[in-house]
Amino acid sequence: MNFQNPHRPQPTSLISLAKSVVIHRQLIWQMIKREVIGRYKGSVFGLAWSFLNPILMLTIYTFVFSVVFKARWGGDGSDSKTQFALLVFVGMIILGLFTEAFNRAPSLILGNANYVKKVVFPLEILPIISLGAALFHAAISFLVLTMAILVINHHLYWGFVFVPLIFAPLVFFTLGITWMLASLGVYMRDVGQPIGILTTVLMFMSPVFYPVSALPPKFQSIMMLNPLTFIIEQSREVLILGRTPDWGGLGAYTLISLLVMWIGYAWFQKTRKGFADVL
Amino acid sequence: MPGFRRQGKDLQMSSNEIAIKVEGLSKRYEIYDRPGDRLKQFIFPRLRKIFGLMPKQYFREFWALSDISFEVKRGETVGIIGRNGSGKSTLLQIICGTLTPTVGRVQTNGRIAALLELGSGFNPEFTGRENVCLNASVLGLTKEETDARFDDIVAFADIGDFIDQPTKTYSSGMMVRLAFAVIAHVDADILVIDEALAVGDVFFTQKCMRFLRNFMKTGTILFVSHDTASIRSLCETAVWLEKGVVQDKGLSKNISEKYLEAFYEAQQGKGTTTRVKAQASDAPSIPTRDPRLDLLNGSNLRNDIQLVELDLDGPSFGLGGAQISAVKLMDAAGNPLSWIVGGEQVTLGIEAIAVFDLESPIIGFFIKDRLGQCLFGDNTYLSYMDSPILFAAGETIEAKFTFDMPRLSPGNYSITVAIASGTQEEHIQHHWIHDAVSFKSEVSSTVAGILGIPMGKINLSLKTQ
Repeated sequence: MNFQNPHRPQPTSLISLAKSVVIHRQLIWQMIKREVIGRYKGSVFGLAWSFLNPILMLTIYTFVFSVVFKARWGGDGSDSKTQFALLVFVGMIILGLFTEAFNRAPSLILGNANYVKKVVFPLEILPIISLGAALFHAAISFLVLTMAILVINHHLYWGFVFVPLIFAPLVFFTLGITWMLASLGVYMRDVGQPIGILTTVLMFMSPVFYPVSALPPKFQSIMMLNPLTFIIEQSREVLILGRTPDWGGLGAYTLISLLVMWIGYAWFQKTRKGFADVL
Repeated sequence: MPGFRRQGKDLQMSSNEIAIKVEGLSKRYEIYDRPGDRLKQFIFPRLRKIFGLMPKQYFREFWALSDISFEVKRGETVGIIGRNGSGKSTLLQIICGTLTPTVGRVQTNGRIAALLELGSGFNPEFTGRENVCLNASVLGLTKEETDARFDDIVAFADIGDFIDQPTKTYSSGMMVRLAFAVIAHVDADILVIDEALAVGDVFFTQKCMRFLRNFMKTGTILFVSHDTASIRSLCETAVWLEKGVVQDKGLSKNISEKYLEAFYEAQQGKGTTTRVKAQASDAPSIPTRDPRLDLLNGSNLRNDIQLVELDLDGPSFGLGGAQISAVKLMDAAGNPLSWIVGGEQVTLGIEAIAVFDLESPIIGFFIKDRLGQCLFGDNTYLSYMDSPILFAAGETIEAKFTFDMPRLSPGNYSITVAIASGTQEEHIQHHWIHDAVSFKSEVSSTVAGILGIPMGKINLSLKTQ
């Protein structure tokens, strides 16, 4: 048996991240399960809420935007209310996935002070667990979307198989942001405060209720700076409009999001030593 | 961070005999008056460095630990003793790896399981079952291993149906039961226990002690307490922490005595008077009665207790308002004894000379076994509570305690004597002598327990219907 130094520097490479995920896969799985089930614990309908929530949201947004505001989708989409609902829903799923993780990020470590101070817990997996739970809910919503497409359009485009490829960079990107915010939130409690406002801003500044093409050309390029824009647009192309993804753009986006993930992870690993002192 | 030494690669130790090695460990807490200062500290010193200016500090320093070094060998049980705020818990947290040291290094060899404070690492929203799985997983057990041990853990914790309730509904005792049950079943090499056991009831504490004594045969234990009795009974050696520095380390018996002295000194100041020479007449030249003569043909299991030495100049402390001048054991007739038989009546006489006038003096004693555990003792307080004696300077006072000496298991024993003044609750120690009298029990008919009491009658007969 070799000597270990419990205070050796935490590894920051993506390989060490992959190792950690493999080593702690059972723990991650158990905690995601706990988190998903725990949310509805004590409620009568239980997991059914995972289905009901997206359906209710979809109904409300469709009503408000297409009936009350009489909003029209930009040129290429069909103008029917059902098509509008489907297009909005795609955006909602992606926005929901990101904001669920984003909202909880600053309190991830703060809310689990026990794991920092009382046991030697693999803290780096907390953002993965939080994202895992968000992914589960996104998957349920996606199932609802698939059924809605089948019911309304009577067929699925073969581009469905590309969905994991489009979602993967979003997952990387979200993880990177979550690591970053989780660590910052410990040192600066203020980080949690503007998150709610930012979420609302993100909802309207992302092409959820409208396509990017509906904007004047000079705003379109600014819009592309929003990390969600590309993913939402690509998902619509593939799922509803039946086109192939923009491979070049997707490749570049994946590289950037991997970089974001690595920076976020490295930052988290570098700063985690101080967590116990601050909490 | 200034003064921060980066830890290098893990040292490969030539010897595998050491379980924990702590070298030059210091821990600084940065205390910020305003949360904004933390941010300033994070940014400005770096900026000033870039511009070649002296970095400015935005925090006050608090050194919780400074320059701590010690080693724990494999299989050893080491106690860490110290008052509240002496840095015990900080040290344990650093050894376990939850806190980072500012300077110095820690190396550990083997799987560490820690019981730090109540319900270590339990998530209050999770059920007991979930917390067990979670904790076991954090400690490195696979799902299959945890499942295999789960029933044992539940049986050890013995908290009934509460295992499926969220741990926030647990009492502190139940929390400790479950936490201890988990760390007892993860095949740890090193156990770190932080005075949490005091919360459990007597049955559970006994169960834990049985487990710990069994574990001690192979494993390493680091045990933290401010209670000298539990340190003495569990640990061979002890480290005494005071204000973040190692005050002393060594055999737990010696350390706990010194700790106790310091405790009294801190309360009443250090004694300054010089010792009064013990009177010559108390020299053991007086012929002592040997009751062996009376029992010449007694059984070979007779509990002979031999007085080994009388040492009034041994380790002592006190304010010095009075000095103990003689301690002797006598038979019923008042003859000094050099040999006692367990079960016979003896009288312990303690004489003291007053240096100052003292009101309500109290003289007391207790008998300790070789581990320093107090077996029994008494003092004069209750008997003279209503009619306190004035003890004027220069006078000599004598206290006599007549009792039946219990039959003692073979081993070394000692009598600690002390003179104080005041009441049972609030008193000043004037002179306290550790181990004023030591004696040895050779053979004994005592079958079980730490001491035997005279049996009224023992009967074994067949019952006829």
